[in-house]
Amino acid sequence: MWLEAVLAIGLVTSAVFAIYLKETVASVLSLSSMLVLLSLLYFSLNAPFAAIFQLALGIGTAAVFLLAGDTLTKKSDAKISLKKKVLGLIASILLSIPVIIGTEATKTFTRSLNLSLSSALWDLRAIDVLAQGLVVLTVALGVVFLLKEERRRS
Amino acid sequence: MDYIILSVTILGIGIVGLVTKNDLIKMLIAVEMITAAATMNFVVFGSLMEDSLGQAFSILALSVDACVTAVALALAIAIYRKLKIRDVRDLSELKEEPSEEANQMVEEN
Repeated sequence: MWLEAVLAIGLVTSAVFAIYLKETVASVLSLSSMLVLLSLLYFSLNAPFAAIFQLALGIGTAAVFLLAGDTLTKKSDAKISLKKKVLGLIASILLSIPVIIGTEATKTFTRSLNLSLSSALWDLRAIDVLAQGLVVLTVALGVVFLLKEERRRS
Repeated sequence: MDYIILSVTILGIGIVGLVTKNDLIKMLIAVEMITAAATMNFVVFGSLMEDSLGQAFSILALSVDACVTAVALALAIAIYRKLKIRDVRDLSELKEEPSEEANQMVEEN
């Protein structure tokens, strides 16, 4: 019970910080912490597949948002110091640890239930998964064409 | 019930952020929050009913969410490359002034 309460408080706090922090990078980091807490909540709800998917997507989204924030922000002349680089590396390693632990936890869970993610998705939502693949490919093509067109114009 | 309140709270924070913020990245973060709150309901109800269909739906919803984020970010980057702006208010200020013919047509109607 206390775990859910702590997760809920952390979720709401990080959501508020993600919206109201002025620095884009800080708000992106707050959003990524919110997504990590959300995946922990999914683990506590006995939903390991959704948790691991949320964790992987959350970290991926955070990385993309960080890149976009860096691209869309005016760059200062000061170079990034070695200390900041090492801190970034440590943060990325720390963020990837829950994914590894979660993958291992999912393996034990699937062994105990004799059910894998692929079989669950294929047995339950096979057509949806196929349609989803089509959507993802179309989106990827659309994004590539959009960015390519802009580059050609510029 | 507790989880629904949590979901509605995060949804509310996301909507407030979407309405009050003008930065494109902040607005995207708010959209991300809204979709996370919606996806949470799939997992919560699936867990309450002890049905793994909720997880399957949440995975599908998360994939769509990633697609939406990718397209929106690509648009934001394209807008920034072309116009060098991040504020959506500047985008609305760039709207073309209506021509005299258009104004006449509005007055006639």
